[in-house]
This record gives sequence, structure tokens and C-alpha cells, in this order.
Amino acid sequence: MKRLWRCHVCNDVHWGNAPPEVCPTCGATNSFVPSDLGEALEIIGRDHPALDDREGVLAAWQWFSDQSPTVRLTAKADEMELLCKGVLENLRTKGQRYCPCRLPTGDREKDEGLICPCNFLRQPTFKETGECWCGLFVRRGAQ
Amino acid sequence: MSGNRLIWFHGRECPHCRKLAPLVDQFEAETGIRLERLEVWHNDENAKLMRSLAAVIAPACGGDLGVPAFYNEATGKAICGGRIDMPKLLAWAKG
Repeated sequence: MKRLWRCHVCNDVHWGNAPPEVCPTCGATNSFVPSDLGEALEIIGRDHPALDDREGVLAAWQWFSDQSPTVRLTAKADEMELLCKGVLENLRTKGQRYCPCRLPTGDREKDEGLICPCNFLRQPTFKETGECWCGLFVRRGAQ
Repeated sequence: MSGNRLIWFHGRECPHCRKLAPLVDQFEAETGIRLERLEVWHNDENAKLMRSLAAVIAPACGGDLGVPAFYNEATGKAICGGRIDMPKLLAWAKG
């Protein structure tokens, strides 16, 4: 079961079943201790920038695309803009940056799988067509 | 809820839905068959209806509810996704 962990050396915060053996921020080994939400929020701070505007969302997608050897952002700029608008609309009305081409069920755990970018690599649509369901991310070499 | 409607579930910000709209227009013009267009992201009633049909629609969408999705109330059949063309639409509408 996932929980919060804190690196006792640099206060890096990790959410997962187990902590990283090597802290990705300071490089210390076996440095994580169990943490909790209050501690994690105190460390992260309240001034962390929100991804709640077009520039922030597009930058996050671009970062994801740039570091992935498997997928990249679509070259269709008009579709990207439309999807960005939809994701931000969903953030405003549904509370999360949900895919505008999927529909939340109301089951929180299940709906977490619809936050963009979702885990589309395992979905049948990506395996068959080389695109995520909404077409935002495509397999490198396609399109 | 069942009847004889041919329903198109779509999302306002879904690019595939936007691309399919001319095809749906063409389908209606050529066949004289009207589709009921239900937007699901900005209309809770429509979303609720779509969720109630999840057992049929989700498998057609690759496992999760998605748009664009077409549901035939008379036959209980659904098709889903951005690669729908006129032959597929005709086959779905005519059962």
C-alpha cells in the first residue's frame, strides 16, 4: 500500500509502496523514513506553483514528451490546444486534469487513472493505433 | 432506460468528436436518420445516462468509458472511438 516517505538528509518527499533506495535528489542511500501528509505538506510548502493554466499544462506535457523514448506529443497543434482547454475545464469543474475524451465514474481510485497523461501505454488503443485514446501522445516514429 | 434512440455521446473538448461531427451530419443528411447528440462533460444528466450504459459502452471503448461513443437503444449495441467511418456508422444504426 502506498504511503509517504521523507529523505532525512534533504527532505525529498516520495509517495509509493517503498522508498527509493537512492534518493533521486541528494543521492543518499537508505535515507527515507515513513512520513505523513502534514509533514509532507509542510516540506513542500503552500507556494508550489499550480498546473492550472495553459502554459503550465503544455509545459508539463512537453517535459513528459521530451524525456520519453517511447512517445511524443502530437504534431497537431489545434488538437493539443483543444485538449488543453478540456483538461483545464475538467480541473475547474471536476477537480482534476482528467482526459476530455474519457468519463469519470465517480470511483476515486478508478478515476485517478484518467488524469492526463494517463497510463495509456498499457491501453489496447495505444497498442493498436500507436496513440493514446485522445490522440495527445503518439508513438515515436508515427504520424 | 431504453427506447429507439440512436445516441451519440460526445465531449465538447474531444478532438475526435469534433472531427466526427461532419461525418454525423453527412450520415443524417444521406440517410434521413437522426442521431441524438448528448454532450457528457458539461451535462451531468447525459453523463449519468452514459455511465448507466457502461457495461455495453466501456468494452467498445477499450475498457473505460470514452467519447466519441454511439449507442443504439433498439439493439443495445455500441461503437466507440475516433476511427469510426460511414460503413461502421451505417452498420451500427441499422443493427
